Amino acid sequence: MSLSVTRLTLRLRLTSTVSAAVGLVVVMLVVGALFPAVGDTIGKLDIPTSVANLLGGADYGTITGWFRSEIAVIYAPLVIGALAITGASTAIAGEEEERILALVLAHPIRRSRLVVAKAAAIAVIVLIIGFAVWVGLIAGVAVGGGGITVAHITALAVQLVFFGFAVGALALALGAGTGRRSLAAGGAAAIAIVGWLVNSFAPLVSGIAWLRYVSLFYYYAGHDPLTRGIGATGIVVLGIVALALTAAAVVSFERRDLRV
Amino acid sequence: MSGEPAIAASALSKDYGSGRGLFELDLEVRPGEIFGFLGPNGAGKSTTMRLLLDLIRPTSGSARVLGLDTRRESIEIRRRIGFLPGDLALYPKLSGRVVLDHLAQLRGGVDRRVRDSLAERFGADLDRPVRQLSTGNRQKLGLIQAFMHEPELLILDEPIAGLDPLVQQSFHTLLREVSAQGRTVFLSSHTLSEVERVTDRLAILRQGRLVVVDSLENLRRVAVQRLEIEFAEHVDAGEFRGLPGVKEVDAVGRTVTIGFEGSADAVVKAAAAHEVRAIRPREEDLEDIFLSYYRKSAE
Repeated sequence: MSLSVTRLTLRLRLTSTVSAAVGLVVVMLVVGALFPAVGDTIGKLDIPTSVANLLGGADYGTITGWFRSEIAVIYAPLVIGALAITGASTAIAGEEEERILALVLAHPIRRSRLVVAKAAAIAVIVLIIGFAVWVGLIAGVAVGGGGITVAHITALAVQLVFFGFAVGALALALGAGTGRRSLAAGGAAAIAIVGWLVNSFAPLVSGIAWLRYVSLFYYYAGHDPLTRGIGATGIVVLGIVALALTAAAVVSFERRDLRV
Repeated sequence: MSGEPAIAASALSKDYGSGRGLFELDLEVRPGEIFGFLGPNGAGKSTTMRLLLDLIRPTSGSARVLGLDTRRESIEIRRRIGFLPGDLALYPKLSGRVVLDHLAQLRGGVDRRVRDSLAERFGADLDRPVRQLSTGNRQKLGLIQAFMHEPELLILDEPIAGLDPLVQQSFHTLLREVSAQGRTVFLSSHTLSEVERVTDRLAILRQGRLVVVDSLENLRRVAVQRLEIEFAEHVDAGEFRGLPGVKEVDAVGRTVTIGFEGSADAVVKAAAAHEVRAIRPREEDLEDIFLSYYRKSAE
């Protein structure tokens, strides 16, 4: 790995990462502040199962359900996914399209080390967002009157971070394999969104319920970390996916011509 | 420095299909020389340089740089060379200083005094973000990063692009100093007059194939020469057409310009039949040589 490459990649994405992290914390404080009012009103609505599934159960009557629907199922994975995908697709394919890599790789650095250094930078970005989610949830839940343990909040943040690793590695692998930023970003985003839909709808249709097991989203939220804590299987699967995709990124990038 | 070639390509090919790429390049660049690599856009110059740096891989053939195999020993090669890509791109948000620091770190550090003296020599602005710099000022950063670790071999793709004449002069002086130190320069250009002033030898590439490799002196010798003859009275230019070796005749007033290959004997003897006020040899420039090789290889 090259620390210099990691540092520079982080430096280039620091502003967007910190802005997103601060935004997340603010949103979660607002979501927490809204809970007392929401719990007594829309919390009592009867929502169709399909819609409720999209919203992580849509149990607005409890603070856990409220944060699950508002943050855990939609906002947090959206932000962490967007930052991981943008960062990872720019890191290799973006710099390649901008012709910057033609200069960088004229220096004595192995392509494998470059990919690993870029992956490390994306991992740090994901960790910063994961930490912001953790802090924001603790603060937001406190503002909302409490009711979710720090252990369960930590479980969600950890699960989310591994989801970010896997989605980022997916964009990295697509970018390293093709050298096309839009394909890397679009492909990874499409796979993540389809995964979210599959995880939400597959259980409603008998015969395709098994499909949720191929969704990255299932391994992040399927275990419901805000209620049940860490889901070790999900962590292991997401971790293996992230490592395997990073390895695939290294191998494919080593083998191909730079698009210059 | 050993007598081993700085660059040796053997049947080096990169086939992109549809006749594009580089085909069967055999080339040797000697240590310590400034070698010009000429050709129009799309001739295969940048492709050759990318192959030497292992940015792209050959379809067939092989190359050695500083005695090392470009595929298996690429890291060591890249440690010992400086490269300026054509169409240079740098991180637009970062200042020149930060970019150069980063590139220096990729090399495990460089002597900052060398970097600073190069920046001073080229008048480079290291403090403004790259996106605010003109093409010429960005190119200066590119040159600094290529030279700052004092490499044994410099591979420079269109190095003069965007540089103003004064900086071009500094660059040429630097090239001569580098060459005097026994270091090698391999530079490409499609702007012929730039290469003419600095190269010891040059190669001309056309449509991915090597047309010729020779010294400028030898190329001039075999190329079409021109004599400009001013007569006392009007002379029929047709008298010179058809003389042995004569390729072209052009008359303006009482002055006739004759282009010929080989001996000037027939031209001078034909001119002597009239009163000659002046004979001026026209300095053959590289452009003519270049174009004449182009015409030959296109035939």
